[in-house]
Order: sequence, then structure tokens, then C-alpha cells
Amino acid sequence: MRLPAILLLALLALRSATAEMAMHHATGACAGEALACATSATPLFAPDGSLYLAWATADHVMVARSGDDGKSFGTPAMVNTEAARIDPGPDSRPGIAIGGDGAILVSYTVFTGDAYVGRVYIDRSTDGGHSFAPPQPLTDDTASQRFTKLLADRSGRILAAWIDKREIAAAKAAGHDYPGAAVAFAWWDAAKGTFTPARIAQSDSCECCRVAAALDRDGHPVMAFRNIFDLTIRDHAVMAFGKDGTPGPLHRISVDDWKTDVCPHQGPDIAVGPDGAYHVVWFTEGSRRQGLFYARSSDGGASFSAPVPLGNPDLSPSRARVVATKQAIWLAWKEFDGTVSIIRAMRSADGGQHWDAARTLAETKNASDQPILIADHDHAYLSWLTHDEGYRLIDLEARS
Amino acid sequence: MRWALIALALLAAHPAQAEPRPFVQGSWEQLRHLHQGHPTVVHFWGITCAPCMVEMPRWAELAKTDPWLNLVLVDADPVGQDPNADAPMLKKMGLAETESWRFADAFSEKLRFEIDPKWHGELPLTLLIGRDGTVRKIVGSADFDDVRHWLEGQKDPG
Repeated sequence: MRLPAILLLALLALRSATAEMAMHHATGACAGEALACATSATPLFAPDGSLYLAWATADHVMVARSGDDGKSFGTPAMVNTEAARIDPGPDSRPGIAIGGDGAILVSYTVFTGDAYVGRVYIDRSTDGGHSFAPPQPLTDDTASQRFTKLLADRSGRILAAWIDKREIAAAKAAGHDYPGAAVAFAWWDAAKGTFTPARIAQSDSCECCRVAAALDRDGHPVMAFRNIFDLTIRDHAVMAFGKDGTPGPLHRISVDDWKTDVCPHQGPDIAVGPDGAYHVVWFTEGSRRQGLFYARSSDGGASFSAPVPLGNPDLSPSRARVVATKQAIWLAWKEFDGTVSIIRAMRSADGGQHWDAARTLAETKNASDQPILIADHDHAYLSWLTHDEGYRLIDLEARS
Repeated sequence: MRWALIALALLAAHPAQAEPRPFVQGSWEQLRHLHQGHPTVVHFWGITCAPCMVEMPRWAELAKTDPWLNLVLVDADPVGQDPNADAPMLKKMGLAETESWRFADAFSEKLRFEIDPKWHGELPLTLLIGRDGTVRKIVGSADFDDVRHWLEGQKDPG
């Protein structure tokens, strides 16, 4: 009885080693900074309609520009010329935004030390993304930072919002517990060429999910993130910035009652329609509901519609996104049947009150990034990086 | 005897307690097969998951105080791409001797699906696999009194 167990263990070790060698060989085929080697990519439409794509490989963040809606890209620029240990997490992908002066800011997290403490760096390009100035830290503080969202407001000022652990360090020093981490923010100060000192928008938020943000009707950012209510409940909330650049009150999107200390690694998304309504999508495993959900608010987040479940619950729907154009609100998410990953989408032409039947936009049979929805004036697009098919930008309006 | 020598030679060539084994497609079936018939606690963790790092020393403590515990660790961190990162961390946590795996396939959905089709990647996650193969799922940090209670129940096959 004992011998076969030992033998099995040995064979298992041997087989695992072989699998590892095979994997190294496979990734070796695209070693370097090519988009094909990336596992996630962040898209952004520039005011002139061109598409910028930022991606991270093992040591570098790269940016490339496309003048033909993602069909082809110019020579990618290396954002950080000195190799760094870039955080490749799908929820902590590079951020990218273009300010009113036309300069491009790129954000990314670098891991420091054995404990994987994150440090966010900002690199700036003033020549359309051909070259980038040396990296500068987003903030002087050295407690961990991750999951940065960059977004230019209507006046062209760039907001950075991220998950920050400085308050944990302070609480620990004072002998207090501190569930989660904080949502921090800063504004790019073009005159000084740096971000304003970091401020905390909300303490005790989930420490392992991205912050989402979109511009409201007045052109000010509104954030959506997973907050921690009553020290233990990880439900979602929105927070809108005012004219003065500071965030207003926190509004809970839904009482899902997810009492947990788990890291879901799955942040929400938000879009604002032309009528000013907020549209949010999120994932929860709360006691009240489980899965992916959509809700909207017509009163600046003070109240939200009843959550609507998204996707086929048998196909583990995940990674939902939302985007608004002048004509429509679009939702997209991923489903997986064990072999094929598909991106499903739904469209609403009446501000999220009624939805067309969900349809499949794209599929793949291997590793894939989260789906991302972006809009360029009148059209919504799915941006999706997959291992087998490469990068795709799919015009959703063209297919409806 | 011949089998024993071959097995020992293979083991020597691939020491079990070095780096965690790469967890690829099919690994879950292997892992289940390896521990078939033995109550097993499979704990999924991640190096960038803060609640996981708080919980790991408690698993180390349980493993130390209850040698009967058959613990298997799987690093399923979405960032777990550095194959050299786990071993020093596991050693620091006092878990260097524990059977360990780490996700080593970018198609992580496929790996998760093989384990539990409903699992989106939340961490920590613990599966209590009974002697008869029944699985109890704990999402988030485990209640260790509950785990001890389960272990006691498994010790008595009757």
C-alpha cells in the first residue's frame, strides 16, 4: 500500500516539472514586451479618435497607438525604461489618461520587497506616447498602493484614485484594528508636474478590488468601489466628486450583505448616461444575492434601482463592465463553460429601463483578459485581449 | 524493492519540499487522486491577498498542533507569476514542509473550473474534503473551531 503512494508522489513531481518546462517554453516564444506576452491591456480613446493601449509584461509597461480602431498599432513605447517588478494583476492593470494639455499619464504598480508591497508610479509623455519621462511615485507615502484608476475630467484635469494602506500602518502603530484599506485620491497638478498630496476619500474599503470611475453629467468623476460597511460587510458604494475636486457623501448601491473578509479580486464598474443617471455593475456573494448585478440611480446615487442579475448562473458570469454612449447603455461580462470563454453583452436604448436580449460578442478557448467596454463619441466597443486571438476591438453598434 | 529504488531516485531528483509544484490543467484530479480516502484540507491562498497572509500562520499552528491534519496549500493568486516567491514566504510562515502547489497556467478560469465551476477566484478559499470525498467550502477566512470540529469528526470513521 505504501509503495504505490510514494511512486505516485514521485511521478507527480516529475510530471509537474515537465509541465513547468513546457510552460516556460510556451512563454519563451513571446518573451519580451510584445502585446502577445501580456495578460491584460487597458484601452483609451484620445480626443482625436485614436486608440491607445497600455499593457504590462514582466518588467515593463508598454504603450502603443492605433489610428485604425485597433486593427494595427505603431511601434510600442517602453514606459519604464528601467526594468521593474510590475504588478500584473488583472484588476491592477496599468492606468492611462490624457490631460487637457495633451500629455499622457500612465500609472502602474511596482512590487517592492518580499511582502509584495505595492508602489504606484506615474510616467508622463508629452509627445503622443512616443517617449516617457522617468517614473515618479504617485505619492510620497510608502505604505502599499495598488489598483489605480486614472481619469481626466471634462476640464482636462486628471484624477488618480487608488487603494492605499497608509491608514493601516497608522492604526497598527496605535494598536487598532483596521479592516480593509482606504480609497485615496489626488489630482494631477500640470503646473508642478506632479500629483497633489494624496487624500483619503473613504477609509475601510476592500483592499483587493479595483476602483472604477466615470464622468458625471457635469464632467466630474464619480467613483464606484467595494466598501466595507459596519467593519465586516463588503458591499458596493458610489462617491461623486464636486466642483471643488473633493468627494461628496458615500452612497451604498445595494444591501447584498456580503459579510466576509475575502479578497474577491473583482471590482465594480460605473458609467453615466447622457441624462446623468449612474449605471453600475458588480459581483457579490452576499447573503441577499449572489452573482453579477446591474442597477441604476437617477438621483446622483441617493437611491438605486433593484439589482438585476446578469448572465447565465450556470456559466459563472464574471468581470462585468458598463459603458454609456449618447444612444445606449451597454453591459458586458464573461461566461465560461469549462472550455470556451464568451463575452456576452446587453444594450438598453432607454437609459437602462429595458434591455435587449443578451448576445455573444466574442469567444476564446484559452487564457483571456477581462472584457473592457469603452466609448468613442457615438460608438461603444469591446476591448479584449486573448492568448489565442490577440487584441480585438469590436464595434458594438456595428453589430446591432 | 526495485519500485522502491526507482521511487526514491525520482524523489531525490525532485525534492518535494522545494518550490511548490506547478498547478496546471489536470492537477486537481491528480491532487484528489493522491489524497483519495484521506480527509484533506485544501487551502487556496495568495501572496497579494491580505486576509490570506493573516490566516496562513493559523494554518501553520493547526498543522503543528494536530499532526493528523492533512493540509495541502495551493497558491491561486492572480499575481502569482513569480515561481520563486512562494518558497521563502511558506518558510517564513512555518509551512515549508506542507504539500504545496501554485497556479502555473495563465488560463486560470480553467484551473478554477476544474476545482469548482462556481469559483470566481475569491481568496482565501478552503475546501474540507472528507474521507468519503464530500467537499465543504469555506469562502474567506476559516473559523478554526469549525475546522477542528470537522477534523475530529473525520478522525472517527464510524
